[in-house]
Amino acid sequence: MAKVYKQVPFAAIVPSPQTENEGMITGNWRFLRPVVDKEQCTECKTCYIYCPDACVNFAKADGVSFNLKYCKGCGICSNVCPVGAISRVPELDFDE
Amino acid sequence: MPIKKKGTGLTAVADAWQLADIDVSASYPIRPYTAVMAELAKRIANGTMQCEMVHGEGEHAQFSIAHGASMAGARATTGSSGVGVTYAFETYSPIAGSRCPIQALVGDRTLDPPGDFGSEHTDCLTLRDNGWIFGWAQDAQESLDNSLMYFRIGEDPDIMLPQIVAMDGYFVTHIAQDYIMPDQDQVDKFLPKFNPKFRLDVKNPVIMGPQIEPEMGPPLEWDRHVVMTKVKEKIVEVTEEFGKVFGRKYAPFVEEYLTEDADMVFVLQGAHAVTCRSAIKYLREAGFKIGLCRLRWFRPFPDTALAQILTKFKVAGVIDTGTSYGAPCSGGVLSTEVKAAMSEVAGKPIIQSFTSGLGGETITHEEFFAMAEMMKQTLQAGKIIQGGTWVNFNDYHEGASQINAAKHEAAPSK
Ligand code: SF4
Ligand code: SF4
Repeated sequence: MAKVYKQVPFAAIVPSPQTENEGMITGNWRFLRPVVDKEQCTECKTCYIYCPDACVNFAKADGVSFNLKYCKGCGICSNVCPVGAISRVPELDFDE
Repeated sequence: MPIKKKGTGLTAVADAWQLADIDVSASYPIRPYTAVMAELAKRIANGTMQCEMVHGEGEHAQFSIAHGASMAGARATTGSSGVGVTYAFETYSPIAGSRCPIQALVGDRTLDPPGDFGSEHTDCLTLRDNGWIFGWAQDAQESLDNSLMYFRIGEDPDIMLPQIVAMDGYFVTHIAQDYIMPDQDQVDKFLPKFNPKFRLDVKNPVIMGPQIEPEMGPPLEWDRHVVMTKVKEKIVEVTEEFGKVFGRKYAPFVEEYLTEDADMVFVLQGAHAVTCRSAIKYLREAGFKIGLCRLRWFRPFPDTALAQILTKFKVAGVIDTGTSYGAPCSGGVLSTEVKAAMSEVAGKPIIQSFTSGLGGETITHEEFFAMAEMMKQTLQAGKIIQGGTWVNFNDYHEGASQINAAKHEAAPSK
């Protein structure tokens, strides 16, 4: 049976601004997940600036969170965090 | 009123770009391309042309600038030569994939072995698999005309693909010749303003070139493949309309010369066709029933047109003015493509590969005669006697082998 591919708009051009596009979830490429230690985090927002996929979120009241639908696990955020608050944990350590 | 001008292939393209009222041109010097950017800069500085000229810090940046400008809705141009073309390589697929119909001028130049600046088609042919439409002009007039036709085809809402106006470095880019510069009204009638459906616009923001899931890749590639097949119909349509508006009629895909009664035919593209035609006149006097098929397009490859035309002949000698080391039958890219296009065609001719005119060498009459002689032997034998011939290197005719022997003897010993 022929595979059914996802529908793609012309040249993959999508409306903006939008923080999420359900058609383009790419977080499933990740095998290391960033995890923040909120005790250490100073909320300096360095990780927010550096994340190439705009996955660091400060919108929620409880500080830093990561949008795992799009986070590729590149580790840039953990490298730039000045206080070492972000660790990278293998995906298989999580239930979902 | 159209005016008669004396200029080069590069001034002719600068004229085409001025008449097309381009918005942005991205530049980075490399000969022989450089003269077009110099020409544009001069016109902009003199106030005779309105255009944003942006200098990249290299060819990769240069093509990226044109890419961005096109995304913003500009009619954008750029170009390069030789290793400059290959330095920008990463940008070609994204430009075609985001369906930005920028136009690039390539004045062909060899890819370096150390600094041979002569003309070869190898630079352009290396990017044949990226979704750009292109073909070679044989003179200044055709460069100008192709540029206008390519804008029209590439910017068509059903197509939206980038184009390369390719021309042999120096032979076309730098040799002064007469050409007719069309009238602005004619161009305006033929080429509407570029008005893409999608563009970067703060009032209606879009994301272009987002990261996608693997399952979304094949449909995008399928789209690019399908549109490439549609380009052929558009070429026929636009070439015909061009003839009506400007009065210059071109064969859409393959220009034939003295082929009516021919049993043998040279197949090539670009400026060497000019010498080839004059060589054919002598060959005809010597009793060779030989003609020429000059390809006007390389991508999309005119396989259907070639299949119809080449079956009229018994032997086709495909002349490559570029290299593809290790390619099948010791041929170049063009001969490989012609053979592939003809592979399932009934009644096809015997196709013989020649490589000649590398490094900016002209293909001389004698070399055309030698190739014709070889094709005649093939015709008489009904099969190829020597395949994949590098003219002057494979020693099939005495004169050439003697010259080469003398050259080797004169070379300093290690
Ligand atoms: S860089 Fe580190 S400290 Fe700064 S906000 Fe991000 S996690 Fe917190
Ligand atoms: S791992 Fe990479 S993609 Fe994920 S949040 Fe950190 S910087 Fe962003």
